[in-house]
Amino acid sequence: MSALCPPPSPAVAKTEIALNGESPLLAATFAYWDNILGPRVRHIWAPKTEQGLLSDGEITFLANHTLNGEILRNAESGAIDVKFFVLSEKGVIIVSLIFDGNWNGDRSTYGLSIILPQTELSFYLPLHRVCVDRLTHIIRKGRIWMHKERQENVQKIVLEGTERMEDQGQSIIPMLTGEVIPVMELLSSMKSHCVSAEIDIADTVLNDDDIGDSCHEGFLLNAISSHLQTCGCSVVVGSSAEKVNKIVRTLCLFLTPAERKCSRLCDAESSFKYESGLFVQGLLKDSTGSFVLPFRQVMYAPYPTTHIDVDVNAVKQMPPCHEHIYNQRRYMRSELTAFWRATSEEDMAQDTIIYTDESFTPDLNIFQDVLHRDTLVRAFLDQVFHLKPGLSLRSTFLAQFLLVLHRKALTLIKYIEDDTQKGKKPFKSLRNLKIDLDLTAEGDLNIIMALAEKIKPGLHSFIFGRPFYTSVQERDVLMTF
Amino acid sequence: MISAPDVVAFTKEDEYEEEPYNEPALPEEYSVPLFPFASQGANPWSKLSGAKFSRDFILISEFSEQVGPQPLLTIPNDTKVFGTFDLNYFSLRIMSVDYQASFVGHPPGSAYPKLNFVEDSKVVLGDSKEGAFAYVHHLTLYDLEARGFVRPFCMAYISADQHKIMQQFQELSAEFSKASECLKTGNRKAFAGELEKKLRDLDYTRTVLHTETEIQKKANDKGFYSSQAIEKANELASVEKSIIEHQDLLKQIRSYPYRKLKGSDLSAGAAEGSSQDQAGQASTTSDPDEPVDTEVYASRPDYTPKLIKAKSTKCFDKKLKTLEELCDTEYFTQTLAQLSHIEHMFRGDLCYLLTSQIDRVLLQQQHITNFLFEDFVEVADRVVEKEGSAPLEPSQDRPPSRSLEECLIPKVLISVGSYKSSVESVLIKMEQELGNEYKEVEVTEVSNFDPQENLDYLDMDMKGSISSGESIEVLGTEKSTSVLPKSDSQASLTVPLSPQVVRSKAVSHRTISEDSIEVLSTCPSEALIPEDFKASYPSAINEEEAYPDDSEGAIHFEASTRPPALGEAEEGSLENAPSHTDSSCCIGKETDSLLVPLPTSALKLSDDNSVVSIPPQRYRQKDPGFHVDFTVENVHPASRDNSSESFPPYELDPSCLPASRDVSKTSLDNYSDSTSYVSSVASTSSHRTPSSAHPTGFSSERHKKRAGQNALKFIRQYPFAHPAIYSLLSGRTLVVLGEDETIVRKLVTALSIFVPNYGRYAKPVKHWVSSPLHITDFQKWKLIGLQRVASPASAGTLQALSRYSRYTSILDLDNKTLRCPLYRGTLVPRLADHRTQIKRGSTYYMHVQSMLTQLCSKAFLYTFCHHLHLPAQDRETQELVASRQMSFLKLNLGLVNEDVKVVQYLAELLKLQYIQESPGIGHPVLRFDYVPSFLYKI
Repeated sequence: MSALCPPPSPAVAKTEIALNGESPLLAATFAYWDNILGPRVRHIWAPKTEQGLLSDGEITFLANHTLNGEILRNAESGAIDVKFFVLSEKGVIIVSLIFDGNWNGDRSTYGLSIILPQTELSFYLPLHRVCVDRLTHIIRKGRIWMHKERQENVQKIVLEGTERMEDQGQSIIPMLTGEVIPVMELLSSMKSHCVSAEIDIADTVLNDDDIGDSCHEGFLLNAISSHLQTCGCSVVVGSSAEKVNKIVRTLCLFLTPAERKCSRLCDAESSFKYESGLFVQGLLKDSTGSFVLPFRQVMYAPYPTTHIDVDVNAVKQMPPCHEHIYNQRRYMRSELTAFWRATSEEDMAQDTIIYTDESFTPDLNIFQDVLHRDTLVRAFLDQVFHLKPGLSLRSTFLAQFLLVLHRKALTLIKYIEDDTQKGKKPFKSLRNLKIDLDLTAEGDLNIIMALAEKIKPGLHSFIFGRPFYTSVQERDVLMTF
Repeated sequence: MISAPDVVAFTKEDEYEEEPYNEPALPEEYSVPLFPFASQGANPWSKLSGAKFSRDFILISEFSEQVGPQPLLTIPNDTKVFGTFDLNYFSLRIMSVDYQASFVGHPPGSAYPKLNFVEDSKVVLGDSKEGAFAYVHHLTLYDLEARGFVRPFCMAYISADQHKIMQQFQELSAEFSKASECLKTGNRKAFAGELEKKLRDLDYTRTVLHTETEIQKKANDKGFYSSQAIEKANELASVEKSIIEHQDLLKQIRSYPYRKLKGSDLSAGAAEGSSQDQAGQASTTSDPDEPVDTEVYASRPDYTPKLIKAKSTKCFDKKLKTLEELCDTEYFTQTLAQLSHIEHMFRGDLCYLLTSQIDRVLLQQQHITNFLFEDFVEVADRVVEKEGSAPLEPSQDRPPSRSLEECLIPKVLISVGSYKSSVESVLIKMEQELGNEYKEVEVTEVSNFDPQENLDYLDMDMKGSISSGESIEVLGTEKSTSVLPKSDSQASLTVPLSPQVVRSKAVSHRTISEDSIEVLSTCPSEALIPEDFKASYPSAINEEEAYPDDSEGAIHFEASTRPPALGEAEEGSLENAPSHTDSSCCIGKETDSLLVPLPTSALKLSDDNSVVSIPPQRYRQKDPGFHVDFTVENVHPASRDNSSESFPPYELDPSCLPASRDVSKTSLDNYSDSTSYVSSVASTSSHRTPSSAHPTGFSSERHKKRAGQNALKFIRQYPFAHPAIYSLLSGRTLVVLGEDETIVRKLVTALSIFVPNYGRYAKPVKHWVSSPLHITDFQKWKLIGLQRVASPASAGTLQALSRYSRYTSILDLDNKTLRCPLYRGTLVPRLADHRTQIKRGSTYYMHVQSMLTQLCSKAFLYTFCHHLHLPAQDRETQELVASRQMSFLKLNLGLVNEDVKVVQYLAELLKLQYIQESPGIGHPVLRFDYVPSFLYKI
């Protein structure tokens, strides 16, 4: 293909990234639509390998390709659209985030893309949302950055009387680099440590002869219950990789195959960092026994998280979906506003802004004890250990349990859909719902609601209205129904 | 726990409540919405309403070399679907992607045009302003007259839900690839045909030109060529070059590489596809790139070549071929069918699609239990849908075969011998031959029975003054068909069997009677009855005695497994061969030798407690004149039920019944069981001949909705819905009696959702019977709709029903009464709460489905719990085992009262299904519960 591709412009900068493991990512590119020349590539990020799978010319060709047709772009204001290409002829898949922005005084269209080999399609698809969410947010910040750069430079030009237009907009690249590298690292770590779609129950706690053999009965109940209440999103930390991974696999049993592929085991050799957006991830404590959980990234995860410490058998959970989304959005808006208001480049430096801005005072008490008890998981755990291990009986029983959960979730969605005429009317009969669908235990409702949220996003916010309630307030509201 | 520095810095709490919006304010386009799901009236369903089209559709577009991107057709081809959505603009958008840039035409340095078999590209893109998102499948077709011989097309699945497209990407890609392969296969065929024609034209033209040149040569005697001759010679050379080029193109298209075909699984292109596959398979062993399309592109002998003009028409003068012409009509039609299939497959809300996919995966993991309540045809259909039109894997859609490797369950747990019947029942195998070997025992009455009298009796019974009190449970009979003589030539074997005699024998085992208990409904709570019903609701409940406990009220029988040799017993020797049990005998022949008592303690229980021993007086009075003839013959299924009803091995489960009684009985929706009922209705449904493999194939969303709706009506209208449903769940046959076929059918369909299946085929439900019931009916059907006819001539129906009434539950729709055992559990109220606020039938159906799945789970656990069914020690008695089982059911599974029997019955079915040799063929269990029945009235 390289014969067909023109060499890249010397103006195209390239950053080579050294990764520890295998990188499924071929390259990442930042391109823009030049009103005279059409699609132009500005920057390429590529993993540092001895033999590049794609030449720079090919990468440039593909990056240009992503902006083809965008002259017809018809998007909502501020939209960041996602395009996804599977180009069998080239053997690649490309994920492009297309957005409008102001640069050099012109409003133009930009594309941030990642390129993977087509053979990684099934590996990548479960991680699509994680990658897109993270790149989307960095684009939001980058857009502000570009806008401010222009304004600042215009001021400088006026003051200094010099022409510095050519340098403008370059500074978005370091910001993008700050997220592209972690995304590459994430994909690399997932390549080596993602949980497989099929989990052997023998590798989990559910293979124990009796409940409590591997871990404390109450702890296991809390962990699974909370895990399900937080939409299957959990962080498992501990000092022993084996122990952590056993719990990770156990929790993954309650996920769909695609969600399992978006989960990561911990690595005994090199400790991974927390990655926002994974369903279940195992992380090792450091040698001092402490563990750092980055608040910002936990907040930016699409679902609330359960924190499970296997060393001390502690289970904590974040507030339910609607509260989590509300807190997340407030945090994001605060962060973007802080960027917008920053007056100097130092202020806008990556990750320093959140320390200096006084408006970032979120409630640190985001992890709470598991307060809502359920009957579903309790009954399941009480019963499953009656079946003989080592056979397929427990797997079958687990499948039945999951089927019940999914069917209840769908029934709940349908119930609300009927009751509100597909959202046209407010939902007012939570009490009836709980009785009618046999979800009177608060934990049961939380589990089913969490499952329903995953297949019908926005359900929590719709039911609980404007989500100003804290968990306690919400409980009070529920009590009054 | 959280020790991140970025968190430690956040110590202030007071300012978090209100965001500071000091100037300069962040422009909204750079921000994120605070309420992504709740702003501007948005809700989880509203994202679909923003688009200008009403639902998802498929668009086929072309990048025409004459007019640019243009929409060609939509699926469905209905303007209402895409509404005001601008197809032209969207075509422009999706086709403006230069998706491949692969070279087609004359490559540099190549003498001839080169066909490049480009692979399809797939793109997901959107127009966020229009709220339209699309999966776009780009493909290239060949056209001899097109520029570079290629015509770029795309097929786009357009939806308002972006997540739907990404989440279903692989499925969409697979399905569209099939459609694309179909188009391309047809196109290659058409293109090759076109080339052949062109070659013949060229050949003909060359001959003509050559002849003309020769003529000119001969005519030319001047020694030099005229300009005309030179022109002709050039023309000839051009034609010859063209011939070589076209021959090369034909060679290329015929040598379409095997590797391209390998990935395509195309059933739509039936004949060709299969021949290609076969050829392809053959070629795998040799040369994978071996041409395989030779046969496909066989030349057409009937073509008359024509002269080709030297100068071709200008680009804009020619009319481009339509897609249909490009692809061969047959393939084009098949592609459209595939696209319609795709449209249908991905139609609807994403949450239902996702859940159905998850369901399918989970159901595949529980082949042991899912025969009970799952609609297998639906599961299979989903898989078929999933597979699309591709050839199915031989074993993919079949019910999973049972093997020890597949489910390593200890043999000891499932052996008949070791499995102690948990429902205090006698398990008597009743191997009814099914399928082609189907035979049945016909039981007819000798009619010295006064029909009118019986009618009166039944009426009185229905009025609620009588309740039977026997407590005997029998599960099936041993070899009911094989033990009886099977000869066709054998005359009807009449066995006068007086119920009185039987009764007296039975009585000898019973010491406590609960007969004549008069209970007028024991609904869970009178207060729960809707106001509408309170007027007619009895103000008092009369109950003579307290209902016996679970451990009471039953005579226990040991299972008596009879060897097949018993079947050789001579006709008429029933009395001499007490073990000669047929399906009828199990009702009456409760002889000592047949009834093997359980260990003493069990008997003591029954002796000491409230087991009914004295039959109702009225029955006794009827008995002397009551004769039963057992006619044993190889009755052809079609020969019974008024000679109009055939009994297939498995009966249909009708899917659609009219929601309203007013609907004509001959409505299509109200089709009857096409194999069992001949009436005016039957003719309307004759085209719906069921496949024997999947008789419940008509189960649709519509069916579910209606069944759910009618079930909902039933539980709201009838205060005694709980015991009726309990009867169904516990395996006690429920007969729905009524005059109006429509109403009966409707209710039977509604109640059928509570009936556990025997096997992986039809539900044991008979929607409408107009002839008298026989004992085998109770073996086959657990829910029967029975016609009540007022005429004395048809009194046999009621007569037969009265005979079996104490062993079955009878729901009289005309009199609004139910006669069945008492139910005091907690399971059914959760399943069928008359106060439920569920509004739609489909929602209620889903609720029932989820509750029944929970129930299955309990039954599975009980069946396969490794320490439950075996004696812990050699000396452990059966009583201890039984007690442990009961304790498990109550304590571990949280079951109370009659709920225990439901789980026990389901466990029994699971066990039988599991141990039978050939999967999928259920051996119906004949089961009679001699527990006290009560009469409920509205």
